[in-house]
Amino acid sequence: MTFRFVAGKVAGALGTLAFVLVFNFFLFRVVESNPVATLFRGRNLTDSQREELTRQFGLEGSKLEQFWRYLEQTAQLNFGRSYATNQPVLDEIWAAAPQTIALVGTATVLAMVFGILMGISAGWRRGTNQDRVLTSTSIVTWSTPEFWLGMILLTFFAVRLGLFPTGGISDPSGPDSGLGKLLDQAWHMTLPCVTLTIAYLGEYALIMRSSIIDVSREDYLTLARAKGLRDSQVRDRHAVRNALLPSTALIAISFGFVLSGAITVETVYSWPGLGLLTYESLRGPDLPMLQGLFLFFSLAVIVFNLAADLLYPYLDPRVRHQ
Amino acid sequence: MKSVKLVVVTTLVVLAALALTTAATAQSDDEKVVLTVGLTQDLDTPNVTAGELVSSYELYNLQYAGPTDLAADDFAVIPGLAESWASDDGKTWTYNLREGLEWSDGTPLTAEDIAYTINRSRDEEWLNYTSTVANLEAEAPDARTLVVTSKVNDPRLPALSIYVVPKHIWEKVPAGEISNYPALDGVGSGPFTLTEWKKGQFWRMEANPNFWRGQVAIDEVVFRVFRNADAMVAALRSGEIDAAHNVPASAFPDLEGEEDIVPVAGEQGGFDYLVLNMYDDKPPRDTEAFDAPHPALTDPQFRAAIAHAIDKETLVERVLNGIATPGTTMSPSPNPSWIPELTEEETYDFDLDQARQILDDAGYTDSNGDGIREYEGENIVLRYAIRSESEYSKPYAEFITGWLEEIGIDTTLSTYDDGQLIEVAGKGDFDLYVWGWTPFVDPDPMLSYFQCSQVSVDESDFSNYYNDAGFCDETYDQLYTQQNTELDLDERTEIVHDMLTRFYSSAGYIVTATSPDLQAYRTDRFTGWVKQPAETGPVLFSNTSPTYWNLTPTGESSSDGGLSTAGIAAIVVAGLIGIGLVGWFVARRRTAEERE
Repeated sequence: MTFRFVAGKVAGALGTLAFVLVFNFFLFRVVESNPVATLFRGRNLTDSQREELTRQFGLEGSKLEQFWRYLEQTAQLNFGRSYATNQPVLDEIWAAAPQTIALVGTATVLAMVFGILMGISAGWRRGTNQDRVLTSTSIVTWSTPEFWLGMILLTFFAVRLGLFPTGGISDPSGPDSGLGKLLDQAWHMTLPCVTLTIAYLGEYALIMRSSIIDVSREDYLTLARAKGLRDSQVRDRHAVRNALLPSTALIAISFGFVLSGAITVETVYSWPGLGLLTYESLRGPDLPMLQGLFLFFSLAVIVFNLAADLLYPYLDPRVRHQ
Repeated sequence: MKSVKLVVVTTLVVLAALALTTAATAQSDDEKVVLTVGLTQDLDTPNVTAGELVSSYELYNLQYAGPTDLAADDFAVIPGLAESWASDDGKTWTYNLREGLEWSDGTPLTAEDIAYTINRSRDEEWLNYTSTVANLEAEAPDARTLVVTSKVNDPRLPALSIYVVPKHIWEKVPAGEISNYPALDGVGSGPFTLTEWKKGQFWRMEANPNFWRGQVAIDEVVFRVFRNADAMVAALRSGEIDAAHNVPASAFPDLEGEEDIVPVAGEQGGFDYLVLNMYDDKPPRDTEAFDAPHPALTDPQFRAAIAHAIDKETLVERVLNGIATPGTTMSPSPNPSWIPELTEEETYDFDLDQARQILDDAGYTDSNGDGIREYEGENIVLRYAIRSESEYSKPYAEFITGWLEEIGIDTTLSTYDDGQLIEVAGKGDFDLYVWGWTPFVDPDPMLSYFQCSQVSVDESDFSNYYNDAGFCDETYDQLYTQQNTELDLDERTEIVHDMLTRFYSSAGYIVTATSPDLQAYRTDRFTGWVKQPAETGPVLFSNTSPTYWNLTPTGESSSDGGLSTAGIAAIVVAGLIGIGLVGWFVARRRTAEERE
């Protein structure tokens, strides 16, 4: 891997980031509206309060002046204050991020493990009943809307059976430290996590299945069999290792989407993470909060993509030598 | 592959073990009396100078007592931190504070705290204070005496509905930083003070041992935030929460008749209205930047015909699920005594024939027989704006445009989000839409919105207005100034009734229905839920929130928290199924291998 290759990828990532920075600013301002008027409708503001709020919100001057201020501030890593809470955007994001990482991260890992196992099973025994069952299950779960699935699970397990809480991350009257707290949170996380796992599962299964099918025609597998290896050895040592390569890219990109991945599911389960924060910030709209969140989401995707790009040549020597 | 299997099995076993231990630990519960309230909105900020959400006002109501209070039944001024007051001229009032007042942290609460709050909030124009304190000057000659002087005749006095903040805490916050102060100090004078806020999840308030009414019967109030209102209703049913605010209209009727649950459609003066753009060049504005209403709308007869074509009963039944009351005049206060009784002649009742007759008489006829009346030879087509953010806006539009069509008026529909619509309406680029207001206790702010001076004329900012109807009437403006300084309540009430009747007769602001707060509470754990105002009002999130210090436990224990036995069973079963699945995978592979 040459310096040129790395530099090219990094420059590409930086370019994308710059585009996102500019795009973010204008995206939320396409619609003419004044957040001061929307947030404070019917509040009987005096003229000087209106002016002060407009100044505080950074809405004075022309769009171009506002844009310039936004670039300056962002360059100093100052993302402004949320209109709704008056607290720094970065603090709000930091406070919400761990919940999202815990939830979506766990679900992504679970979906990956089960999805890949399903994909291997299905692809290796292509055309059998097992394949048909696993493939159709994958297609169904992949195309199920997450929020709908969430609502169904919530209604059944939390409302009907009363087995799980109806939302939130912890019980306000539950234990507030130690193992008890951790367990309480795990209990609250079960339903949203299962929802997301089911929702993500199919994609991994289908991709893994098709890559297994691709490699199953390769000569080296015939050779491995000719050597007298058992079927499971052929599969595990030769087929799966090579078939995992396309999944690696998907996995890296999926981790990039962990942060932004669960807006609807977080809303259904009142899970106080970044998705919910996004949903809330659309009211008003809370421009600095939305800008901060979208920048953060984009940054995650860009970084993981870059990581995948840089990692790939190590995993697959063929790419390195091209 | 082996290692993957191992990971999966281990995960499942650990999860099952976790579930079991949770069940064991969650059982330990203390003896605290906790009231849990579910709501759909988090706090925006505990900072009383900056918050603007209904949820935050509930926090302020509980944490900060005022010098005077408002009665639960009828908003009459009653003693608060001050036990009595007197005035010679109605402008300067002397308040005597109760003896031995203390903040929740034990610091003495004196007249100086109140004077400090009034003077500083006026000078720095604190968001939630300005309209109350703008003309006030306060002094504290001694710890228990407060003298408040108003520059103008203020009919709201002697009521001092302000959240008094502790000087010893707030004086450390510099002027420019006031709205950024996180305000997690939890020092207050009301029945409960903030002890914990988990953003997006819940906030917890503990009983204030120094509350001037004495110790309340509840130890703690927990406000739990649900982003999914249906989940909140489920939690109410299961007893996980004791009360719920903002129950969805679809779930509300089902709660009626449910055991131990009382649904409340609490009226606080909020209303929905159909606004007609009646701007008629007063006050003048630059016609280049602004748009004008359809010229027929400037004709009172044309508007009257529309007012007769709106069937409010049907709107309440079909659009609002029957959970509201048909409206009359604009409602300037949660206190219904400000709303005038209209005579039969004054009322625009639903009558399509009469509407058609008025239009015929005024010369709006359909000469080409296409079913649409013409104005100066052109079909009358009105621009109807729909709010994308309101679930009721579209069904409202379907009914209203249907009736308009029946009387020969065509419409075109456009959809906007609220921010957009404020700008669009400010430009005058609409003919009609449905929106709503929620008034303050004093009628003044709502009344002020319909003065000529509140019409949108600011070319540089199309959101700088309140008068979305473009209503401009000199008599109304004069009456407004009169009521604003009239100290006699009966006189003032009469003026306000006059104003509202005048505004109603313009037929440009057709109040379709009240918009009640939908709440529900459980009766098995607490008694003493108070409606404000009496009979019609909500029990929570009302103007001064008297319910909380009135509630007493019934003695039945809480059913919330922790895992149920069924829960443990479910998790164990789920764990077993998971392990079974993995086992199946492994087994399949084995048999497959053996077949080879």
